[in-house]
Amino acid sequence: MAVTLGYKNVYRDPYGFPKWQEQGLPIRSIPAGLTSSAATPAGPQDDPSFKGWGMLWTLLGIFAGGLALNLTPCVYPMIPITVSFFGGRSAGDKPGQLGLVLHGLCYLLGLALTNSTLGVVAALTGGLMGSLLQSPLVLALVAGVLVLFATSLFGFWELRLPGGMSQMAGKSYTGYFGSFFMGLTLGIVAAPCIGPFVLGLLTWVAGMGNPWFGFLIFFVLSLGLGLPLFVLALFSGQLQRLPRAGGWMLWVRKLMGWVLVGMAIHFLRPVLPDFLKILLPVTVALTAGLHLGWFDKNEANFRAFSWLKALTGTACLVMATLWITSAVMQGPGIVWHPYSEQILREAKTQGKPLIIDFYADWCTPCRELEEVTFHQPDVVGLAGKNFTMVKVDVTKGGNPYHEELLKNYGVKGVPTLVFIDAEGQERTDLRLVDYLPAEQFLQRMRSITPPGK
Amino acid sequence: MKKWTSIFPALAAMALTVVFVWYIERPAVPKQATWDDVVAEAKAGGYRIISTTELADRYRTSPTAVTMVDTRQDWEFRTGHIEGAVNFPMEPTAWARWRRAGDLEKFLGADKDHLLVFY
Repeated sequence: MAVTLGYKNVYRDPYGFPKWQEQGLPIRSIPAGLTSSAATPAGPQDDPSFKGWGMLWTLLGIFAGGLALNLTPCVYPMIPITVSFFGGRSAGDKPGQLGLVLHGLCYLLGLALTNSTLGVVAALTGGLMGSLLQSPLVLALVAGVLVLFATSLFGFWELRLPGGMSQMAGKSYTGYFGSFFMGLTLGIVAAPCIGPFVLGLLTWVAGMGNPWFGFLIFFVLSLGLGLPLFVLALFSGQLQRLPRAGGWMLWVRKLMGWVLVGMAIHFLRPVLPDFLKILLPVTVALTAGLHLGWFDKNEANFRAFSWLKALTGTACLVMATLWITSAVMQGPGIVWHPYSEQILREAKTQGKPLIIDFYADWCTPCRELEEVTFHQPDVVGLAGKNFTMVKVDVTKGGNPYHEELLKNYGVKGVPTLVFIDAEGQERTDLRLVDYLPAEQFLQRMRSITPPGK
Repeated sequence: MKKWTSIFPALAAMALTVVFVWYIERPAVPKQATWDDVVAEAKAGGYRIISTTELADRYRTSPTAVTMVDTRQDWEFRTGHIEGAVNFPMEPTAWARWRRAGDLEKFLGADKDHLLVFY
C-alpha cells in the first residue's frame, strides 16, 4: 500500500517478529494496562453523561430508544385497546379537541408512571431486578397473554373493551383520572414484555443506585414508547370511521398475530426443555410461513399482494431452516467450571487468567453470549488454551453461596463477566455487563493473556 | 391451484439456506502461506522482500535509517515487538487498505525515499 503512496524503499519481512525474537535480537514490550484505559469505573455523579448537556443527550437517546421499542410487538395489544377506549369515548360524550389532548396526556402519564416505578425499584433494590421480572411464572403469564391476543388477531374473537367497562369509561370515569387509570393498567401489561428489551438499561440503573435517575430514565423511555399511542389516541375517533381496506388488512392482522406467537415463544424459551428450545420456534416459523404464504385465502385488488404473501411465507420458511441448520452445525462451546476456591487457586498457581461469568437462563444477553460468542472457534480455542473459565449460574435465586459471591464481586445484575489476570487481580476496566460480539470479546481476552503464550 | 406454484422458489430458498449455513460454519483449517505466495504477493504489490538477517544487519549499522512498521494488532504489539518499531495496526483486507491510506501517509511522513520495512 505504501508503494501506491509513492514511497520508494518499501520492504517486507515475511517472517516478522517471531523469527526476530528467535534470533535473540533486541525486542521490547509494553506491560499490559499501561496504554489501555485503566481508569476506575466512574460513579454516576462523575459520569459525563449526567452533566449539563450530556444529561440532555443521554435523555434524548433514551427517548429515541423508547420510540424504537414501538417496533417490538409489545405494543400490538395496546393498539386495539387504545383505539376502542378513545374511539368509544369520543363517540360517547365528545370531549373537545383540547379535552382529547388532555385525555391523551393523562393516558401517556399513566403509562409512563408504571414503567418509571420499574426504574425506581431497580435503582433501590440494586439487585437482580431481572429475576423478579423473568421468573418462569411471570414468563408463562406474559406468553399466555400474548397468545390470547394473537388468537384475537387471527379472528377467533373480537377484541374490544367489555361493555361495562366502556360504559364506565364513558360515564363514571369521565374524569381525566379514567384515562390516567387506563394508561396505568396498560403499563402493567406492557412492563414485563418490555423488560427483556431494557434489561441492560435496568442493570445500568441498578448499578447507579440512584432512584431519581432511575425514575427519570424510565419516565423518558416510556414517553418515547407512548408517543405513537398518544397520537393514535388523538385520531382514534376518526379511525373508527375509516372503511375496511379489503382483504389485505385481515392478512396483516394474521401476520401480527404470528409475530405475537413468536414473541410468546421467545419469552418461554429460557424455561423450555432443551430439545423444545429449537423445535418449538422452528415449528412455529414453518406453520406461520405456510399459513401466511399459501393457506391464507385473503385476496387483494392489487397484484403485488400475492408476491408479498409468497415472500413473507418464504422468509418464514428460510428462517426456520436457518435456525435448524445452525443448531445442527453449531460446534463445541466453552467448557465451564463451577465456581470454587480451589479452581481460583489452581488458576493462580498455573499463571492462567480467569473469567467468571455470572449467568442466568432468563437473561437474553447472557444466552446470546453463550450461544454466539462462546461458540466462536477462536474464543473457544483461546479459552481452552490459556484461560480458566468459571460460570456462576444464578438462574435460581436463594443460594447463599452465590449471594455471597454476588456481593463480593459487586455484581449488580446479569450478565456480568469478571476478568481476573494471571496475578489474581481483577481488571475492573474489562468488566462486561452486556452482550459483546466474539471479535471484541477476543480483544479483551488477549489483553490479559500473559505475553509469550 | 395456481398460487401453490410459488412454493417451489420457497423450497429452493430453503435448500440454499442449508448450503449457505453449511458453507459458513464448516470447520476450516486456515491455509499456511507458502514462500511462493509471499513472493507473488510482493510482486503484485510492488515491494521487495527483506530477510530477518539482512534487516538485523541494517538495523545494527544504523537504527535510525530504517523505519520498521508493525502492522499487527495493538495487543500483539504490546506483548512484544522489534525494538524501535512503530505500530500501525492493519487488517489484511482491501477495505482497511482503502480506509487507512491517508492515515498511513501522515504516519510515515513526507520522506518518500526512506527505508521502510513492514512486518
